[in-house]
Amino acid sequence: MSYSVLNTKKIIDVVKYRWLWLTISFLLLIPGVIAMIYSVIQYPTHSPLRVGIDFTGGSIIQYSVSENVSSENVSDIRAKLVEHNVENPVIQVLKPSTSDSENSIKYILSIKTKFAEENQSEEIEKITEIIHTDYPDAQVVQTNSVGPVLGQQLFINSMIAVTLALLGIIIYLTIRFHFEFALAAILALCHDLLFVLGVFSILGLVAGVQIDSLFVTAVLTVLGFSVHDTIVVFDRIRENNKFYAKKATYDDIVNASVNQTLARSINTSLTTLITLGALYFFGGVTTKDFVLVMILGIAIGTYSSIFFASTLVAWWNDVVMAKKAGNN
Amino acid sequence: MKNKIIMFWVIIVLTLISIFVIHSMPTRLGLDLKGGSRIVLEAQTTETIPKVTQDMMDALKATLDRRINPQGISEITIQQIEDKRLLIEIPTDSDLKEVRRKLSEIAELEFKKPILDENGNVLSWESSGLTGKDLEKAAVDTDEAGKWVIKLSFNAQGAKKFAQLTKEFRGYPIAIYFNGEMLSEPVVKQEIIGGQAQISGDYTHERAKADVDLLNAGALPVPAKILEENAVSPTLGVDSLNKSYVAGFIGLVFVMLFMLFWYRVPGLIADIALIIYSLITFAVFKITGVTLTLAGIAGFILSIGMAVDANILIFERTKEELKSGRTLFTAINAGFDRAFTSIFDSNMSTIITCIILYFLGSNIVKGFALTLAIGVVVSMFSAITVTKNFMHLMFGTGQLKHPALFGLKESDINEAYEVSETQREKAKFGVLD
Repeated sequence: MSYSVLNTKKIIDVVKYRWLWLTISFLLLIPGVIAMIYSVIQYPTHSPLRVGIDFTGGSIIQYSVSENVSSENVSDIRAKLVEHNVENPVIQVLKPSTSDSENSIKYILSIKTKFAEENQSEEIEKITEIIHTDYPDAQVVQTNSVGPVLGQQLFINSMIAVTLALLGIIIYLTIRFHFEFALAAILALCHDLLFVLGVFSILGLVAGVQIDSLFVTAVLTVLGFSVHDTIVVFDRIRENNKFYAKKATYDDIVNASVNQTLARSINTSLTTLITLGALYFFGGVTTKDFVLVMILGIAIGTYSSIFFASTLVAWWNDVVMAKKAGNN
Repeated sequence: MKNKIIMFWVIIVLTLISIFVIHSMPTRLGLDLKGGSRIVLEAQTTETIPKVTQDMMDALKATLDRRINPQGISEITIQQIEDKRLLIEIPTDSDLKEVRRKLSEIAELEFKKPILDENGNVLSWESSGLTGKDLEKAAVDTDEAGKWVIKLSFNAQGAKKFAQLTKEFRGYPIAIYFNGEMLSEPVVKQEIIGGQAQISGDYTHERAKADVDLLNAGALPVPAKILEENAVSPTLGVDSLNKSYVAGFIGLVFVMLFMLFWYRVPGLIADIALIIYSLITFAVFKITGVTLTLAGIAGFILSIGMAVDANILIFERTKEELKSGRTLFTAINAGFDRAFTSIFDSNMSTIITCIILYFLGSNIVKGFALTLAIGVVVSMFSAITVTKNFMHLMFGTGQLKHPALFGLKESDINEAYEVSETQREKAKFGVLD
């Protein structure tokens, strides 16, 4: 058994069942893509996700209240706000945590409305007065107002940042590996990105979840992690290929590399998911969506690094080989 | 072996320094964690001001600073962020009502002279040329009746103008306008030479005080509009901070337990390395003056994940090398060297992303990118230096006698290893033949 390194326990055959893995990827992505297309048609902003005030402009004012606000009360408040000419108010009740300590905030009443260009300050004070008539103990815990100009700028800047980050990664991987690795890594990355965006598009439709600038941060982190994961597998393929290129087929090398890094891939994702899980369940209410993006992204990133990116590399190699054979 | 022991002490000293730094330097918390407000203002062009110049921005900044921070004692910062924009940060105060008022007031004081008909009745008012610019100081005072008044002291030029005005219109009323609104129209009894005047109206003390602050700060050189404002109450900030601590702590404990369970003795070493890593990273945050925000903490926690990943990569690799029958010393070295290319490449791609985010992202994103980048750099050091050093000191050389220490079984270990040795210097740069 001098051939041992390549004959390590094969738990998953990524190359042989490539159509199965690609089908699973397809099934994972398709609901989100449909939701995004539907959103583009449906939303007045024509965006694939429900965009928050960070990008569109608007105001969110959050009050801490000591008692729960029932859905009837919510419609009550809404009616009152509309009566006082508050434009299109969106009201939400958030429960920050399960902890019962004295000082922690019990419930948060969140009110979203348009950014009033001229008299923004009076607008907020007017809303506060209206809330105080029903909830005298309500206290403003957070206000967030963004003018529409600034929102659009932020959105454009975010898009530029994402594009440049992708370009940077492609260039780096092309230098360090080969172009086909860079291409596969970027496709895997788009795979992960599409999944996360898809889930949030669905959440936007179903639960009204909006994306903000923290969301963009989280997505960029997912990109970083996705590439991180993919590189580890690629690094192993690169290494094995150096030693076994003459002794084994490329498919075997890819398979062996994936299986050798399998334990690491799963363990790393697990530990990261543990920390993120702690953040999700015990962390502040403001970062919940942010953490959810990363949980989804890291889970799918692990999947894509094992089943998607390496499959693509093997496939590319097969196609190139077939071409070469054809030319000869 | 001697080098290893020296390195061990270097690590210990670094850790102690970190603990000292963490203990003695204050943590800079962002507004979302300690509460406070952030306002972005943009200077507006008007018909009279077609272009906003840098001089105007400087004057605007100075005026706003005098208005919201009249005593100059609070930690309010105002900085210019773009050609026409100012960023104002006010710690711990989340009630923007007062601040908004101070920012939006024009604070234009003007003395107007009457246009009289032939009988001496006032037809209308016109500008006298005496304005807030001629003011030296305003103060709150009381008049003989005990009412609150605003006392004005003019500068030399203003005093001259005021003397002229009172001389010309002795026996007639003059008007004092503030922000386009007439405050009072006293009748001039005699020429006033000393450059002192007073405005009486129905002032409350607060109102008089607020107006005095505005007058002393001066009029805005250019009107400004609020583009964005964020306020977080200290209660919510503390709540978020405490929860982040709890979440971070729970996450860390679980990760450490996982590592211990899965990798045994190396897992324990990784756990210790992780604690050292956290201490050094936190100390670096403090030394470099990183302001911790919620996003920043998320970046830090993520970097912990990457630090653990480096250890996992190394251990998995070391285990493989041991399975192939290598001796402990070479297996550990090979594990590190082989894993290094993965760690290096993946961390480099993270750092590239961080750099781009730092320069293009919004404030929130910047904080995140900075903590993540620092964390990743420190993690390379901790994984390579700390873990490796401890592994060598703990296991020494020779054959692995107790595979269970690594979570391996006796039967996992093979006899021979057929791959030729990689030169270590080459391995570091990904060249493996």
